[in-house]
This record gives sequence, structure tokens and C-alpha cells, in this order.
Amino acid sequence: MAEELIKVTIDGQEFEVEKGRPLIDVINEKGFGVPSFCYYADLELQASCRMCLVRIEKMPKLQASCVIRCTDGMEVTTKSEEIEKAQRAMGEFLLANHPLDCPVCDRGGECELQEVIFDWGDVEERFDEPKNAHPEKFLSPIVANDQQRCILCKRCTRVCHEWMGEDAIEAGNRGSNTVIGTYGGWLNCSQCGNCIEVCPTGTLLDGVYRHETRPWELDQTITTCTYCSDGCQLSVGSRADEVHRIVARDRYVNGINGEFLCIKGRFAHGFVNHGDRIKTPLIRYKKGGKLIPSTWDDAIAFAAERIKESKKAGVVATSRLTNETVHTLKRFADECRDGTSYAVSDTYDLAPFFENLSAPLCTHKEIRFAETIVVIGGDVDEEQPLTAKQIRQAVRNGGANLILVNDTPSRLSHQASQFIHVNPGTVEAFVLALADPSAADMAAAKMGIGRAEIDKARETANATKGDLIIMFGKELGAEAQAVAANLPSRHENRNVKLHPLAGYCNSVGASDMMPGRKPVADVVAGSDALLIAGSLSDEEFAAADLASKPFVAVQELFLTDTAAAADVVFPAASFAESDGTYTNNDGFVQRVRRAIDPVHQAKPDWMITSLLASELGADFGYSFSASAVFRSIAESHEAYEGLRYPDLKDETRPVRVKHKLVSGADVSGAVASLRDRVSQFPDAADKITEEPRVGHKLHRVTTMTGKTPQFHLLANGNPKPDDLLVSPLFQFNPDGSPKKEEESEVAAG
Amino acid sequence: MSVISEVLRSAKAVISGMKTTISQIPKEKWTVQYPDVPVTVQPRYRGQHLLHVDEMGKEKCVACYLCAAACPSDCIYIEAEDDPRPYEDRIGRDERYAKVYNIDYGRCIFCGYCVEACPKDAITHGYNFELSVYNRADLLKTKDDLLITKQKQSDKYRVALSSEDVDSEFKEV
Ligand code: SF4
Ligand code: SF4
Ligand code: SF4
Ligand code: SF4
Ligand code: FES
Repeated sequence: MAEELIKVTIDGQEFEVEKGRPLIDVINEKGFGVPSFCYYADLELQASCRMCLVRIEKMPKLQASCVIRCTDGMEVTTKSEEIEKAQRAMGEFLLANHPLDCPVCDRGGECELQEVIFDWGDVEERFDEPKNAHPEKFLSPIVANDQQRCILCKRCTRVCHEWMGEDAIEAGNRGSNTVIGTYGGWLNCSQCGNCIEVCPTGTLLDGVYRHETRPWELDQTITTCTYCSDGCQLSVGSRADEVHRIVARDRYVNGINGEFLCIKGRFAHGFVNHGDRIKTPLIRYKKGGKLIPSTWDDAIAFAAERIKESKKAGVVATSRLTNETVHTLKRFADECRDGTSYAVSDTYDLAPFFENLSAPLCTHKEIRFAETIVVIGGDVDEEQPLTAKQIRQAVRNGGANLILVNDTPSRLSHQASQFIHVNPGTVEAFVLALADPSAADMAAAKMGIGRAEIDKARETANATKGDLIIMFGKELGAEAQAVAANLPSRHENRNVKLHPLAGYCNSVGASDMMPGRKPVADVVAGSDALLIAGSLSDEEFAAADLASKPFVAVQELFLTDTAAAADVVFPAASFAESDGTYTNNDGFVQRVRRAIDPVHQAKPDWMITSLLASELGADFGYSFSASAVFRSIAESHEAYEGLRYPDLKDETRPVRVKHKLVSGADVSGAVASLRDRVSQFPDAADKITEEPRVGHKLHRVTTMTGKTPQFHLLANGNPKPDDLLVSPLFQFNPDGSPKKEEESEVAAG
Repeated sequence: MSVISEVLRSAKAVISGMKTTISQIPKEKWTVQYPDVPVTVQPRYRGQHLLHVDEMGKEKCVACYLCAAACPSDCIYIEAEDDPRPYEDRIGRDERYAKVYNIDYGRCIFCGYCVEACPKDAITHGYNFELSVYNRADLLKTKDDLLITKQKQSDKYRVALSSEDVDSEFKEV
């Protein structure tokens, strides 16, 4: 859309701006600056704080610049005695009931209220009535709340409503008694913590980082989240060698996610400095013996010797590793011993998708401004929270059509313009119906829906002029993926974009790094010496029988089942301790940066692998620098050609890898076998009508999230304690049962 | 120049010097026989810091880090912690307190900025000036050395009354 340019005069200077932009944005962008509390870009307007007042010629009173759109010839004054007087008066009202206990307030030092008042310097408090004092309390294990500090800007409630679709917090009571509260006094939401992030004051606070340190003491390291495939940019706050908190506050980082993060990205960082991290390399000298701590030299030599002795070696990577590590593992397989097979452990292998990719991947920004979004399968709310937020905003703030095809209702299905509720396990049939209209009747029958539903969805898609985005989850098998990847080439004139709902932070990258990989089971079965970086999934582990393998080496953070079954365990560095890159589901390759030194004796995964390789006589020439590994990636993978770390340094302009597009590929074979598969689906089945609990996947206790104690309470039903003033962690055991009187005293004392 | 005139000139110089010396002998003496006799320090003397407690013995410091931020020589190190217990049971006056509070006296310049910055009147300068140690590491003082309830005060000083004038510089001699 070509925007019409108009002239606006601010404080005597003339600017050309796009017509209809919020005046406050223009003022701030041009460097004039106006204080504001309730305005938040891309949320519904509120205009309740009256801080952003400016004088506009020909308007009778001072105007709130957040609700004014630029018009031609507008003359604006941002600074004058009159304006400051009005703003100060508002400031005085805000402080009328404010405790100003900045020394204990966790927001002190990055509080917007503090900044504005501090800038004026001499705000006078003329109210001497007693304040509505309330003690600080907890709204959930991870959201702490001091209601007296609230300035009622309602950013939190708008974020909860518009971003998360949860409406878990709202303003209650009236007048000077208005408070931000929850229904029933306890938060049973997904616990994303976005209300904490956007709160300009210390009203809503991070219960995990509670009273730990102060923001100016923390080193802020911009890096990429290590959980889901959305690849949110976040800032790790560390002090000395300890990670204290993770935020996405825009004063530190401004990535694809803005200030959005989900519970895992924001709160599940307890694993980094956890006491259970493997501290030294471990060797099991004899089968059936114990894992014994050893030195790096011994462990590397021991492992290299065993791999040399073996007949056939195998390498297994996981999709939480950086591109650097997966690439090094691939080189290890290629260069150290002939015939070494390799695999990537992932819940969702995207190889068939990328082989048939016929349209670019869509970015999260494009989702926000899309016209029609088709989500086939998956569980976006729980597994790709940023994508879910973008979809929700596209629907709610952008009026997009959302067509949701799933066998289970979810939060998102309430917002869908068309929710196609299919029989359990039959979403693939919808892909078939889209690709092959002749099979639509059969597909509709198998899905347990009317043919009209498919036609309606097709009509919506055909009528779309803007972006049409197709997302699909891990229900899609290899044929369905290939067909889905090929769908855009059937829509020549339309902006069709694809968005795979990949499983892990580097699922896409690992898939790029290891072309020609085999299934994990084949690699495990076919080799007598294994190098596993990370851990196998529970099913893979159960099937692998690692104990019977002559030799297994594992690089891990914790002594997981896989590591415990190994003969050599190398302590690996976590994402906060190593440099590297992840590729997200937009195809953006984003930096992972070292925030703290590796704990104990850990080393970055790629370094461990290349040490092992050099012991086996293959020198990768990395000389201990992650950027050299990335150069090697750029030289050997077409999609990453020419990229270097300096190109990736700006998180505000993420770099897209160039996935090869295949247009007009013949997928008739895949369509035929998909049709066969679909025709074998049962004809009748009971639909799943119950909507799963919010957080049923997000709050799962895993090796990593389980190291943050709050997750145990959430996973065990998030019990509401009797005493809201004390953190639930002190009142409940990890399994959710209340602590006994004596026990809690022991724990506290 | 003759030898005699030189002797005379020297003698004159010695006499004039000795005159001053002898004239001081009957006057009041300012030398303090420290450590045999305690030193008198000014009420606002800036000695080793004291971390204060309230009337119930609860530490006043809330670990706001403002002293550490104000310190020009970066010698204060704090680690804050949450203490959710009720007032009677907890260590500090507030639910946030300093688990670790160290001052490195190898770096402190006794400027008093930390005291200025403290919003809770939790840190002040005490009078203790006997900070010399045999080991440099001992210059790092922890909460055990700084808390008013734990700091060992030397008996080698007395604090002047505010009416008392102990500053010889401005005293007429
Ligand atoms: S919200 Fe801001 S102004 Fe209020 S006590 Fe906290 S830091 Fe101070
Ligand atoms: S809790 Fe924070 S974000 Fe919500 S209304 Fe109050 S000040 Fe605004
Ligand atoms: S949405 Fe995904 S990438 Fe973003 S913070 Fe959550 S887990 Fe991390
Ligand atoms: S007296 Fe000055 S140098 Fe010493 S700790 Fe306080 S602020 Fe730092
Ligand atoms: S920012 Fe404009 S009224 Fe609050």
C-alpha cells in the first residue's frame, strides 16, 4: 500500500509523514519525546493516563497524542509551560496513592513511572490523605502483584486479551479503589508473563526473579530462545556467572516478537545454573560399571579409541542444538570415518516439506497482517505461542479470516471464522481435499464434516487478495507434507505463504544442516559406536536399548536417561553459555550469544565434537571460534551461502536463509499415496469435544523446564494457597500437596 | 669571608631556632599517645561503615543496591534475597534483604556517597579507623564485620561532643 505523505509541524519543524499515523509515534520517532504510560503500539487505544498531552493548533484543549492521527498541516507543540503543568498535575494524581517504595520494588531502575517523575525532579505531593495501603501478594506461582503501585494504564489487561486471548486479568472496583485483579484471586492462565513485561510500573512482577538483584547490575545479552521454533529474541540478564532473569523489554532487545515471550522463554531458565548440571566428563570404563568423573583429555582419548575400534559409527543430533553443532556433527560423520550414518532426533522431520517447498516461508510479521490464515493441525497456542499471538492479533486487530482445521478445540478455535472440527487423527485428509478436489467427498466423510465446509474454506481462500498463509502441524506425515509444500504452486496469482509448525528451536536449522539424514532408529540399529548430542526422546530411547551397544558417547547438560546409559558423557554448555545460531520457522537465522561462561567444566557442543574429531585425525580448522564454524556452514550449505556473524548482529533485521523453491514439482505420487492413506481412515469416530486445560503442554515438566520449581506447581494443577502473601513455593511441595506446618517452618528457617 | 663571621652567623641562626623551640615547651601539647591514650574523633568522622538494625533487631537494608550504584570506587557487593516469612521470623525489616553485603576496604575512599544514597538509613559511617590487616584479603569486610550488632568496636577512640573543638588546625596557638 502506497501511503499518502502529508506535512506535520512539530515544535516549529516540518516533517513529511504517512497520513493517519498515531501522532505519538511520530513525535517520539522524530526525537521530541512525550511521556506516555497507557499507549502501547499495536494494542487498542486506551487514552487514560493523559500523559501524552500536546497542544495542536485550532484545537480547543490539550490533546492526548496517542489517540490523534496525523492530518495534513497539523501544527503540534510538545513542550510548553501549559503542557508541563497539565502533565505534572496528572503525575501528582498518579502518585496520590503510590507507595514510592522504589528501594524494594523489583521494577526500580527500569520503571517508566520512576523515569518520568525523576525527569521532572521536583514533583510535589500535596495529598496528605492516607494511601490505600496493601501488602504485596501473589497471583500465581510466577506473577507477584503489588496493587498499590498500579497506575491503571490497563496495558496488562489489553495484552492478556489481545495477545493471549485469555482475559485472565481485569480491572475491578471503581474510583480510587480500582485494582487490577483476577477472577477468584488466582491466575489460572498460561502464565506467559506478558502482563509483567508490559507493566510500566512494579505492579506485576516476575515471581521467579523476585528480589534477586537490580536491573542495572545485570549484563543484558541478546540471544534467541531455546524452546520452540518461533525463535523469539530475548535478553538474558546475568550477573557474574549466574543467569537471573529473561526479558524481552524493548529497551534491551527488539526482535520479531517485540516484548512478547511465553512462559518457557521467560521463566524456564533455572536449568542454566542448576546444581544437577554435569560437572566433569564421565567415563564408564567397563560395561556394567559406574560413570566415573575424569578429565577432558582422558574422556576424549577414551571415546576416540572406542570409535576407532568400532565397525560402524553413528551420529545422532537433536533439534535443540545450534546450527554450528549440528553442522560439526555432520562433518564428524562425513570426515572421521567412512560410512558413518547420521540422524536428527525430532518429533517432526521436515525433510519432505523442504524438498517440495514451492513458496517462501512466511514471517511472523506477515502473519499479523495476513488476510486469511489456514491452520491445519498442530497446537499453536501451546507449542508455538508467538505464532498464536500473531494469529490472534491478525484476527482481532486486523480482521483476518482464520480457518482452523483440528480434531481438538482450543483457545484459538473460539476466534476462528471457520473451525473445521474433524475426527481424531484425520487432519491430513484436509490437505488431500485441498490438493485433489476429486477426493474431497471422501476426505470430508473421513473427517466427519460436510463437503460444504471444505468448499467454504476454499472459497475464502480463493477470495483472498492479500496474504494467504497455510500453517500445518506435526500430524502431517511425509506425503501430506510434500503435498502441503506444493499447494502454493497451484495458486499462481496469490500470495500464498507457508508456515511449518516445527517442534523445537532449531528444527528447521537441524534439518538444513543434515541433508540425507536417516531415521534415528536406523542409525542406532546400524552402528556399534554412537555419538549422541543431546538426548533421545522417550520412545526412541525405549526402542534403542543403548546398554547393549558396544560404545555410546553422549554430550548433555544433565544426566538424562540417555546420558546415564552412555559409556562416556561430556558436559555440554547450554544456550546461555555458547555462541551459535538457530534457524526458526520463518527461516530466519538468528544468533545465540554467550551470556555467561560455561558452568563447571562444560564446553560448547560443537567444540566437544571437533575435539573428538581432531583426536580421530580430522582437523576442522575451527580453532575454538564459533564464527569459524559458521563460515564453514556458509561454505557448505547453499541456503546459508555468504552469511557471516556480522550479518546477523542486528536482531531488528533478521536474515532469512535462502531455502530452495521448487515450483511445479510433480507431487501426484504423494497425492495418490495420501489418498490411499486417507481412504484407510475409519469412517466413523467420536469427536473430541473437551477443550484441554490451558498450559497442558506449556507447563509440562521436562528436563529443562523442571529445573524451575514453579513449573512443578503449575503442572500439578496450580493450587491456590491459603496465604496469598507468601510465595506458593513455600506453601506447597513440588507435587502440589500442601506442606505440613512443621515442614514449612523447617524450609523457611 | 672570615671564619669568625661565619661562626657568628651560624650561632645566630641556632639561637633564633632554639628560641622558638624553647618558647613552645611550657605550652599545651597536641601529640596523642595513641594507642596508649584513645584518639578523639569528630562526630561526623567517616570510619568503617555500620549496617544498622531497627528496634526489633531486624536489618534495615533492603538490598536496593543504591549504595553500590553510588559508590565511585565500586567497592560494595550485594546479593539480594527474598524472605517471605512474617516480620517476626525474618532477618530484615522488609521482605527483601541483603544475603551478602561486602565492602572492600582496599578500595573504599570513605567519601560517604553510599551513606548519602541509602534510602533506608541502613548504612552509616562508624568511627572505627583501625582497618590495617596483615593480609590484603582481610580488607574485604562482610556482613559479619559491618553489622552494628556484630562489629567489634575498638576502645582506642572517643567521639568528641559536638560542643567540643578538637580540630587543632583552626585553633589559635
Ligand atoms: S513502580 Fe516505579 S515508582 Fe513505583 S515503587 Fe516501583 S520503581 Fe518506584
Ligand atoms: S498492573 Fe501495570 S500494566 Fe496493569 S494497569 Fe496497572 S500499571 Fe498498568
Ligand atoms: S514463544 Fe517460543 S520462542 Fe518465544 S519465548 Fe516462548 S518458547 Fe521461546
Ligand atoms: S564511602 Fe565512598 S568509596 Fe566507600 S563504600 Fe561508600 S561510596 Fe564507596
Ligand atoms: S499515552 Fe496517551 S493518554 Fe496515556
